[in-house]
Amino acid sequence: MTKTISRRDFLKLGAASAGAVALGQMLPPQVAQAARAAGLLNANGDGYIHSMCEMCVWRCGLTAKVVDGRVVKLDGNPEHAHSRGNLCPRGQSGLMNTYDPDRVLTPLVRVGKRGEGKFRQASWDEALDIVASNMQKIKDTYGAEAMVFSSTHNLSQPLFENLLYAFGSPNYGTQRSLCFNAMIVSNLMTYGMEEPGRIYDENLKYILLTGRNLLEAISTSETHDLIMAIDRGAKVVYLDPRYTKTASKATEWLPIKPGMDLAFHLALLNIIISEKLYDKTFVSRNTVGFDELKTEVARYTAEWAAPLTGIPAETITRIAHELADAAPHVLVHNGWRTSNFTNSFHTQRAISILNALLGNWDVTMADAGGEESGTLGAPPQPPYPRVSALRLDGVPWKYPVVPLKIGVFQELRDNIVSGDPYQAHGWFISRQNPIMSIPDRSKTIKAFGKMDFIVTVDIIMNDTAWFSDVVLPEASYLERYDPLLPVGDKVFLRQPVIEPQGEAKSALWIYKQLGERLGLGDYFQYADEEDYLRQQLAPLGVSLEEVKAKGYAEAPETPHEGEPAELSWNTPSGKVELFSDTLSRVGFPGVPVWEEPPQPSENQFYLLTGKVAQATQFGTQNNQLLHKYSDEPRIWMNAQTAAKLGLATDDWVEVSSEVGTIHTKLLATQAIRPDCVYMTPGYGHLSKGLKTAFGVGASDSAIHVTYTDPISGSQALSQTFVTVKKA
Amino acid sequence: MAEIKHHAYLFDATRCIDCRACMVACSVENNIPMDKTRIWVAGIGIKGEYPELERGTMVYHCMHCDHPDCMSACPVGAYTKAEDGPVTYNPDVCIGCRYCMNACPFGVPHFDYDKGIIDGAFIDKCTFCPQRIYNGEEPACVQTCPTDALEYGDREELIAKAHARIAAHPDRYIDHVYGEKENGGTSYLIISHIPFSELGLPTLPETPVNEVSEKVMEMTIPFALSWGAVLSGVAAGVHMYNKNKEEKEGEAKPEKKAEVEK
Amino acid sequence: MKLNITLPKFLRIGLFPAILIVLMAIAAVVALIRYTYGIGPISDLSNSYPWGFWISFDLFTGVAIGSGAFVMAAVVYIFELKEFKPLLRPSVLTGFLGYIMVVIALLVDLGHPERIWYMMIHWNHTSVLLEIGICVMSYLTVLAIEFAPVILENYPKLHNIAHLIHKFIMPFVILGVVLSTLHQSSLGSLLLIQPAKLHPLWWTPILPVMFFTSAISVGLSMIIFESSMSSRYFQRGLEIHLLEKLAKALPIALGVYLVLKFGELAVAGELGLLFTSGTMSVLFWAEILIGVIFPIVWFSFKTNRVNPNRLLTGAVVTLLGLILNRFNVSWFAVKHPDPLYYLPTFMSNVKYVPTLPEVAVSIGIFSAGIMAFGLLAKYFPVFEDEHPAAAHAGD
Ligand SMILES: Nc1nc2c(c(=O)[nH]1)N[C@H]1C(S)=C(S)[C@@H](COP(=O)(O)OP(=O)(O)OC[C@H]3O[C@@H](n4cnc5c(=O)[nH]c(N)nc54)[C@H](O)[C@@H]3O)O[C@H]1N2
Ligand SMILES: Nc1nc2c(c(=O)[nH]1)N[C@H]1C(S)=C(S)[C@@H](COP(=O)(O)OP(=O)(O)OC[C@H]3O[C@@H](n4cnc5c(=O)[nH]c(N)nc54)[C@H](O)[C@@H]3O)O[C@H]1N2
Ligand code: SF4
Ligand code: SF4
Ligand code: SF4
Ligand code: SF4
Ligand code: SF4
Ligand SMILES: [Mo]
Repeated sequence: MTKTISRRDFLKLGAASAGAVALGQMLPPQVAQAARAAGLLNANGDGYIHSMCEMCVWRCGLTAKVVDGRVVKLDGNPEHAHSRGNLCPRGQSGLMNTYDPDRVLTPLVRVGKRGEGKFRQASWDEALDIVASNMQKIKDTYGAEAMVFSSTHNLSQPLFENLLYAFGSPNYGTQRSLCFNAMIVSNLMTYGMEEPGRIYDENLKYILLTGRNLLEAISTSETHDLIMAIDRGAKVVYLDPRYTKTASKATEWLPIKPGMDLAFHLALLNIIISEKLYDKTFVSRNTVGFDELKTEVARYTAEWAAPLTGIPAETITRIAHELADAAPHVLVHNGWRTSNFTNSFHTQRAISILNALLGNWDVTMADAGGEESGTLGAPPQPPYPRVSALRLDGVPWKYPVVPLKIGVFQELRDNIVSGDPYQAHGWFISRQNPIMSIPDRSKTIKAFGKMDFIVTVDIIMNDTAWFSDVVLPEASYLERYDPLLPVGDKVFLRQPVIEPQGEAKSALWIYKQLGERLGLGDYFQYADEEDYLRQQLAPLGVSLEEVKAKGYAEAPETPHEGEPAELSWNTPSGKVELFSDTLSRVGFPGVPVWEEPPQPSENQFYLLTGKVAQATQFGTQNNQLLHKYSDEPRIWMNAQTAAKLGLATDDWVEVSSEVGTIHTKLLATQAIRPDCVYMTPGYGHLSKGLKTAFGVGASDSAIHVTYTDPISGSQALSQTFVTVKKA
Repeated sequence: MAEIKHHAYLFDATRCIDCRACMVACSVENNIPMDKTRIWVAGIGIKGEYPELERGTMVYHCMHCDHPDCMSACPVGAYTKAEDGPVTYNPDVCIGCRYCMNACPFGVPHFDYDKGIIDGAFIDKCTFCPQRIYNGEEPACVQTCPTDALEYGDREELIAKAHARIAAHPDRYIDHVYGEKENGGTSYLIISHIPFSELGLPTLPETPVNEVSEKVMEMTIPFALSWGAVLSGVAAGVHMYNKNKEEKEGEAKPEKKAEVEK
Repeated sequence: MKLNITLPKFLRIGLFPAILIVLMAIAAVVALIRYTYGIGPISDLSNSYPWGFWISFDLFTGVAIGSGAFVMAAVVYIFELKEFKPLLRPSVLTGFLGYIMVVIALLVDLGHPERIWYMMIHWNHTSVLLEIGICVMSYLTVLAIEFAPVILENYPKLHNIAHLIHKFIMPFVILGVVLSTLHQSSLGSLLLIQPAKLHPLWWTPILPVMFFTSAISVGLSMIIFESSMSSRYFQRGLEIHLLEKLAKALPIALGVYLVLKFGELAVAGELGLLFTSGTMSVLFWAEILIGVIFPIVWFSFKTNRVNPNRLLTGAVVTLLGLILNRFNVSWFAVKHPDPLYYLPTFMSNVKYVPTLPEVAVSIGIFSAGIMAFGLLAKYFPVFEDEHPAAAHAGD
């Protein structure tokens, strides 16, 4: 990127910036002692320690090289199923998050106006007291429901949830509705599980990817799986309005018109059913609702879908035939954030159902077990208090099929701003950057304005922390323990590879301290992090020391009692539900149906968003190494379109939607449909506390309009239309 | 890992996703300053016109040539070629002439243009991570690669692997292993679906680039000696001839200079 | 009261020397910045263009125009064409100063100038640059010895040493010619390692022969040029009868060069490139027409050889053409690593335009050379052979 960084040797600089830790000191006692006891470090404090990446939610296993108490290199841990010895660029750069000169290393209390970014340092005691007393005051005055909690998926989230359920608030926001609610809810409705596992074995012949840009939005092991499948000669058909790096490796790239994926998949269902290409045995034995499905999709012919999708009918028909020929060694990938339109739930349902019809269960798709392993222990705790208040995000009164734990985060704000059905007064945020990650940034800031008190737990001064009243510094993932992570037949440990810098503390410690101050100590019955882990490990019969040395423990999966005679799923019918009674009873169509998505007018463009390999969401742009290796963020426009508008690469343009206007530089490229523009998320930060990232690029969240899929509660990120003109 | 007689890499452009993890890994492993790098992601980027597009990505660092031109060129012998592959640079003798940069056909060695006499301006280039490979680890760039576009191993084995991959998918690859023969053979081997020249690789003969200059250098001392002898002979001959002539002309008269225009 | 300031005598210098001093001072300041902050801040050199103006101008051109010294030494001592003796000392002095300027320029260009002497202790015998380094250092010593009598003769007490040198001059002369042959041609060999970068119109395995052949013509032209110039500046006589003979030799030397150039292209089967290489074809033809064909024709006419102005014009054009050749091979015709590194932070700016400070360094060093020539010619019998009194005439 163009911004030059004066810092020369980042490792040296990292040392200097970690001001609170005396330089040149030996590894401080706790980690050093523990690590030495486990034989991981020698007397000089040098050695290798196994832990886990937290640069994204995939959590690859890593091995940290430590010299003189400083982490100098991270390598993928070959034992870990998510990394297999590799790390993606973000994982590789992880130590720079820890040594970011802009880390928050002491608790901060706001002194200026909110959003002005003026803070004073405070001791933990003082900061925790301020947080606890404000929370208590809000609870006493307005009821526990006036406190909103939100957090993005992380290993200490169960303890965060403990805090909020014990506190008694129903208002919980997670990143999921910003991310993959459509996928989760559709799978729940179809298979009774959030996300079936995918099996990329040697026999896999055919993969249909819908907007899952696996080669840029990286999940290390699955990215590897996809490349190896291509290498072996599997056919990959990829739908995306953009020519992404995944498109470039796919056998066939179909630049589908945004939002029309539903039409495409409905047509596939139509062909496969009308030509009887589906797996008859599987359908009759293991599914319900085939007839309803058949009736509904009868009208969705390839000829019908062609003009909508921009993909010729012959192509659609051919792909249907190819899928059927390759079945059951086919995978119709659900995608993750394939929640681009308010019709995305139906798209996801169509995908889930297509897999069932192709009979790939236990061939390329299977029950993945999930992360909640029943084999781990947990500290004892009393039951949670009953909560009767309505949730502000409309679950379940407006979104009846969205699980409570997941919620519809973006919908909170309207009710906060309107104060209806009641007024929220406090917001507790952990490991999340909602100012940037929810569409329509000004609305989020407006909602913040309604709050008496906002507290954020983060590692850097992210934009949300910038607008908070108290910022609590968590130790980075290389500096702390977290609860164990089950992956397959192992449970993996995150352990500190270096001592926390400054005053930073683990989330396990922070939540417990707050719990105790709020009189909820019974929900946090562990002496410290290691004690928590010992209680988790108890049923496995392995010692923490052993796990520390290896980085993981074997967790024997509950043994199968012979071959089950019948497959069964956790749905009301116990079968794969092609027609869902659950949906139909709350007034939604029981089978996927066509819902025409809105389309931009003549002078408007679809605004697309999507990940790049060198950043995670809204939290890593300040990482100097990633900054160094990132492309300059510019809004993509098809080169021919740009030429017609008299625009050229590096021109400044003004991009406007219903809710905002931004200025950014243009990239004229062949790699996008003429009716779309694309922006990389995570730029245009508001926090001046991010010295590397501030001032770089513009924010798509500032112009995204909030649209929510009425069934799954997913935000619809491609449904925003913008105009572009020379700035 | 099997025993490695000749350390080498294999890069498969059909697998590379331009994620740059290799670049980050090299920076961290080798503590590269924030404004420098030893490894580049190059290539054509996107080629063609919507929607008929193609992408070619190429990861580029020192080729660890079997006949390194940097080493051949360096006046003070700052480069060393290890018998088992790596070409390394020794800053202690470098005079900063930057001839190695001109010599390297791949543009690999880079120089500290922003350092004065006191800071010491040096050349930098990929070292093959000796601190890792001689401890049984893969080079940092290879180890991290999420797609195995970069692989590491014994040169012979990797060449066999590369040819096997091309043979298995002749439709996918260009039938050539770049580096097997180029410049007399390199330790960085490349297979690709995009013509190598478009990936930014020079078209090189099988004989090492430095062959001609090394031959000339071999001839220098013999040439110098013979040339010195010839000149001495001519000088002596001319002198004798003139002396003879002078003697023959005797003391005829002291010679008068020819007319001069002024 | 009217101030009547008269400068002390040693400060009363003419306008021209004053300008030279200013130019030198500017170069010194630039050099200081370069030594403190590096080569980057003052030049446009980059990882794509590791060598630029300094190497093309100071090294390649500088060494070439120093070739008058060995040409004259060979003519006078080896071939005993004693009549050319008056031209010997000025050419040796030009060579001597020229080479010192080359070394000074290298001290700016080298990343580690303080280590220049490492070339004498760390030998990499495959390196052409090492050979050039050693040759240039040795040749400087030889030139110093050849020139020493001019100084020594001025001091009666040192006459003996001068005499001694005179007596044993032959081995040094032969050594000097050998060394010159080596490094003049090796400057060409320096580019042998760039077959992938230097355009095929120039790259050939006989580059060293090309360089040596053309160096002879440069040497001849330089002597004509420099005698003409100094005769004007020092108001002394012009040895036109001698220069005429040199000019007569030029078409022969250039003819050989021309045959080599085209012969090589024909043998390599690259004649087609003469018309198909765009800018490169133009540069090639420019160099050939200006530096070779024009002088062959021009100097074939006696009228052009005996008229001082025409003689000078011919020599200058020849020099420009041959200097263009040195710029072509070391700069214009060299292909640099493609701008395919598409990460902008590391992409060196692949265009190269020498900066003003860069040029200022070369100009400053050049000024110092002219200044030194002037001073030496003024106070020592550089032109003594012909006009014993002339050296002191200007006092
Ligand atoms: N490097 C990196 N990797 C990541 C993350 C990261 O931040 N950085 N985040 C992780 C997380 S949390 C997630 S959820 C996943 C997300 O990974 P993905 O599911 O791949 O999601 P995105 O990258 O947001 O978007 C994918 C593609 O959808 C395309 N698209 C937009 N609208 C439409 C449409 O209407 N139809 C179709 N077919 N395509 C459309 C966009 O052009 C984009 O290329 O990545 C994970 N991995
Ligand atoms: N425009 C646009 N919006 C999007 C998306 C998009 O592609 N484009 N993607 C959507 C998707 S898929 C998702 S999943 C969401 C994600 O939305 P969020 O979860 O809000 O975004 P993140 O950037 O992941 O926020 C992570 C925060 O955690 C902090 N953090 C990092 N490590 C730690 C730690 O160890 N401890 C603590 N306490 N904090 C830490 C980071 O500094 C950062 O502030 O965004 C969604 N919103
Ligand atoms: S995918 Fe990358 S960022 Fe995510 S956990 Fe793995 S290495 Fe870390
Ligand atoms: S690629 Fe260049 S730097 Fe590397 S060994 Fe070959 S010549 Fe030397
Ligand atoms: S810059 Fe250094 S390493 Fe390169 S050729 Fe010159 S002396 Fe050798
Ligand atoms: S081998 Fe080592 S030094 Fe060379 S590019 Fe890879 S990581 Fe960098
Ligand atoms: S890490 Fe691998 S896939 Fe990523 S850019 Fe480097 S070589 Fe390509
Ligand atoms: Mo996500």
